[in-house]
Amino acid sequence: MIQLTDALFSINHLADALLSLTILSVLLSLGSNRLLTLVKIMAFQGIVVSLIPFFLEHHGEMHTGSIVLLQIMLLIKGLLIPGFMYTAVQKIKIQREVEPVIGYNASLFAGLFFILAAAFITDRLHISLPVENDLLLITAITTLAAGLFLLMSRKKAITQVIGYLMMENGIYLIGTALAKETHTMYVVEFGVLLDLLVGIMIMGIIVHNINSSYDDVDTALLGQLKDN
Amino acid sequence: MLELLILIPLHVGIIAMFLPARLGRGLLVVTALLHLQLSVFAWMGKLTPQLPDYFAVTNEGILVLLVTSFVFLFISLYAVSYMNETEISSEPIYNGCTLLFLATMSMVAMADHLIVLWIAIEATTLMSAPLIFLHRSKTALEATWKYVMICSVGIALALLGCFFVVLSMDLGGVHTPITFSSLKEIAPQLDPVWLKAGFIFLVIGYGTKMGLAPMHTWLPDAHSEAPSPASALLSGALLNCAFLGVYRGHQLMYQAGLGDFSSAVLVGFGLLSMLIAAIFIFNQTGYKRMLAYSSIENMGIIAFGVGIGGLATYGAMLHLIHHSLIKSSLFLSSGNVLLGYGSKLIDKTGNMAKLFPKTFTAFFAGFAGISGFPPFGIFVSELLIIIGAFQQGKTWSISIFILALTLIFAGASRLVTKMCFAACDDPEVLVKENWARTLPSFALLLASITLCIWLPDPLYQTILSAIATIGGNI
Repeated sequence: MIQLTDALFSINHLADALLSLTILSVLLSLGSNRLLTLVKIMAFQGIVVSLIPFFLEHHGEMHTGSIVLLQIMLLIKGLLIPGFMYTAVQKIKIQREVEPVIGYNASLFAGLFFILAAAFITDRLHISLPVENDLLLITAITTLAAGLFLLMSRKKAITQVIGYLMMENGIYLIGTALAKETHTMYVVEFGVLLDLLVGIMIMGIIVHNINSSYDDVDTALLGQLKDN
Repeated sequence: MLELLILIPLHVGIIAMFLPARLGRGLLVVTALLHLQLSVFAWMGKLTPQLPDYFAVTNEGILVLLVTSFVFLFISLYAVSYMNETEISSEPIYNGCTLLFLATMSMVAMADHLIVLWIAIEATTLMSAPLIFLHRSKTALEATWKYVMICSVGIALALLGCFFVVLSMDLGGVHTPITFSSLKEIAPQLDPVWLKAGFIFLVIGYGTKMGLAPMHTWLPDAHSEAPSPASALLSGALLNCAFLGVYRGHQLMYQAGLGDFSSAVLVGFGLLSMLIAAIFIFNQTGYKRMLAYSSIENMGIIAFGVGIGGLATYGAMLHLIHHSLIKSSLFLSSGNVLLGYGSKLIDKTGNMAKLFPKTFTAFFAGFAGISGFPPFGIFVSELLIIIGAFQQGKTWSISIFILALTLIFAGASRLVTKMCFAACDDPEVLVKENWARTLPSFALLLASITLCIWLPDPLYQTILSAIATIGGNI
């Protein structure tokens, strides 16, 4: 009996470790300006995020179907999308995000602020979640907010896609936190369809560069359409 | 089999991608006719869903479906001639994608499952993005990027909303399928806090797609850069489908006894959209952008009407029908203007009354219609919304509503008068107008007049049953 609780304890620890790694990757991505590094961080984050459901208590008895789905998730988030993004970065031949709307130090600071805010929100919610793990919801909200922040504060199309991807990871984590096997089976998993959108965006970037309709994939150049 | 409404355009669309352009155009019209017939059959209740867990015929869904199908038919008739004159990189992509777009919009109209609705709305983004990019110019690329990016963020937030609705089921201890028809029965048991949170995210998510301010920023760019038949389709059909998502959320809230909260949210977003449109329409330089802002305004009116409730809900439903008819007619006319002058700028146009008499008639009549002049239906619908709001004693919101309407009319009429009557600097006609490209516009306007004078009883009953689910009545 003691051994069993020990095992549970360590599994919870493992989940906590993974969650901390996710937060770390969020902070790293906010502070980094090299696109290739960003892609690597996203690959790492994708793997960690899709591993988390394996280590949560209430997912202890998983159906074969959901295990297969989780593996597909791992493949898409950890390998397929980052690989695709790597190709895009190679094609567009730019290494750095220059002139972000909000600087790197300020972004890092914002990231820390998101963690605080997420902790505050989680504390205030007072709901009995199916998963008794506060850190999960904190990580989820932080990732979501930081993703949105990255999306809005960077000018390069590829960095915006990375921000979107991060936001999507956050949504997936929130889904996992709120999930109860009965209903949400195959609800949270539909988040994978968002990856389809990400795929399309990256494809857009790759295809455009081949057509060389612009030299530089910078959405700041996409400033022709406006209301006068 | 109800799913045929999705399957037929889906398969024909995939085939049309590989067919020569001319054949594809024919296929487009044939499929549109078939789709309209099937929609009418579905309306008569002759089609039953094969997958009742996911799809259902609902009154509000069938209204949106009928409007979509009807507008689509005339747009595809117009496209036959328009595509002859315009230069686009790949016409089979246009033919294929519009059909796939029709398939996804039909899916939205018939979806009964929370997640199926979400998937369908996401699919509309995917299928319509290539349509916006058809001209392959830098500005088209920008518009497409904005459209995909902003709508994707919206759709991601809508998924979050779906999670919250499911959570409210869990907390309420409800065990039913996540379909709107089964949630209806047990709505009062749902956890109110999370249901409210879910509704907010659903409105933000689907509202982005519907063009509610402040999430509307993609709309003017996308509508002005897409080829005119695609703009007509975006404005006349897609916005309604996104509205259906919001409507279903509101329905659920009403059934759960939280109708006051969701009404207030809808009225707020509606008025904000109208005001934003009123400010931005004033100094527009492009006529397609002007029409796009008018779409934002009209979506705001619909949200406002639904939020007010009672008689105004009936007005909002009428407004949805007539806005689709008149606005797609206007976008089709604007296609002729673009072909004729070769520019999207209002300054480059002028003296339309003389140079393009047929297009002028359709465009000016459409403008009168969209501004709420009789005998077009928007006159009735706006009047009903105003009366409905007065009945509810919402004096403040109705004053803002009327102010916004007046401002928009003032702003737009200045631009339209310039286009129609001011002297043109360079009166050279690039492409002459013809009946093939003006008759569809006239037909759509005529449909609006007809429905204003004589509303068939079955349609009337459908609208009444649709609005009864959110407490609307006459």
